[in-house]
Amino acid sequence: MNEQEKVKILMVDDQPAKLLSYEVILKELNEELLKAHSGKEALDQLLRNDIAVVLMDVSMPELDGFELADIIRQHPRFQKTAIIFISAVHLTDIDQLKAYQRGAVDYISVPIVPELLRAKVTVFADLHRKTRQMETLNHQLRNLSARLMAAQDEERRRIARELHDSVGQLVATFSMNNGLALMQADKLSPTAGNALRQNTALVQQLSKEIRTISHLLHPPLLDEIGLLPAIKMFADGFAERSSIKVGVDFSPDIGRLTPKVEISIFRIVQECLTNVYRHSESKTASIKIWPSDDKMLSLQVCDQGKGIASERRVSMSQGTSGGVGLSGMRERVRELGGTLDIHSNGSGTTVLAMIPVTSAETVSD
Amino acid sequence: MTQTHTRFLIVDDSELVRQGLRIVLQENPEWEVCGEASNGADAVELFKELHPNLVIVDFQMPGMNGIDTARRLLQVAPAVPIIMFTQHASNELEKHALDAGIRSVVSKTDAFPIVGIIEALLDPIDPLQRDPVQRDI
Repeated sequence: MNEQEKVKILMVDDQPAKLLSYEVILKELNEELLKAHSGKEALDQLLRNDIAVVLMDVSMPELDGFELADIIRQHPRFQKTAIIFISAVHLTDIDQLKAYQRGAVDYISVPIVPELLRAKVTVFADLHRKTRQMETLNHQLRNLSARLMAAQDEERRRIARELHDSVGQLVATFSMNNGLALMQADKLSPTAGNALRQNTALVQQLSKEIRTISHLLHPPLLDEIGLLPAIKMFADGFAERSSIKVGVDFSPDIGRLTPKVEISIFRIVQECLTNVYRHSESKTASIKIWPSDDKMLSLQVCDQGKGIASERRVSMSQGTSGGVGLSGMRERVRELGGTLDIHSNGSGTTVLAMIPVTSAETVSD
Repeated sequence: MTQTHTRFLIVDDSELVRQGLRIVLQENPEWEVCGEASNGADAVELFKELHPNLVIVDFQMPGMNGIDTARRLLQVAPAVPIIMFTQHASNELEKHALDAGIRSVVSKTDAFPIVGIIEALLDPIDPLQRDPVQRDI
């Protein structure tokens, strides 16, 4: 919805003459005006349209304005819909209080001052327009963020593959040739022999480093064998590099999931362990993955470190801080339709992600 | 299996690695590289045609990976020793490779020990080699 787009205003009154007068007053706002002659008609209009403001007479036969407001509010979609009551008879403070208790945003008495009604309706029409704009932008932002993450995953996969196929194979061949040369090292001078031995060690180190970079970019077992072996391999490498002992518990086996779910869970685990290494000062960590029921998968990563400072926890829960890593995890889980909870105190941090896995997404191993 | 002459099939999508392996293997006059394939599907065809005594297979290749390729080869000839030669050697990969019937996983990071591993696999007193069919069942 853009700034020029019209919003819908629903006018509810059992008397056609009054509806006509509201129409005349509001016509110059240049919004879309809808009419309802009864509470039932009003509900019907609400269900079929995205209504910005409901202008409603309190006194109507069958369903009066207050009763109608009660029904409207029960529907989750209409809990925030602006309702303005108009009444010629219910003018006491108690009546007005009743209206506000039902979520009215305003209460106007008859006779209506046209400028006043227009001003009040304009405020809520603009608010609705802005809310819709925000929702659209938010939605676009989410889409963009999801696309960026997918692009990043794909790019990492591509670079890892390039490393494997080009530099990796060169270094492997280099290493084999060195091995051949080493068999005849005794024919070399001591200096040349030492240089060859040193080169062999250097090539080996180089190869290991390339391998680590490639594995961190994209786990080689993920596509070919599955999520759990990929996580185990990552956890083994992480434990070796960080000296943090990592326990894994993947029982029962969850089999293969869709590539999107698998890469997302892998990245969440990767991010969690990176945080354990960078921030927790923990010497141990554990990863647990289990099906909570036939539709949900639970992932829990725990450490026994110093926890997250309380002021940081507050800003994290408000979503105002936590770094790109945590936001990334949240977005990944949100995109899969799951939830992410972080519990932390002085004796450790637990990240729990619940991810829906529909039976269509579960494929046989 | 003839102990005097061993024929190898090399399966790796990198020509450079195939070439390197060929040079290393040909250092031993009793070893001969009878075929090379750059992917799993071609490897299965060549395997049926050439009946090699030993196969060296990469893990990450376009199309079929090395473990699936090994499974297909072992369906054809369950006794043939297969060595996986990969940059991704790890405990986890080794577990899956051994489950599939691969005899050994050698890291390309430290490639040269492959010669010793082949010798051990071809050694007639090696229990794996002495009764490979039984092991594969």
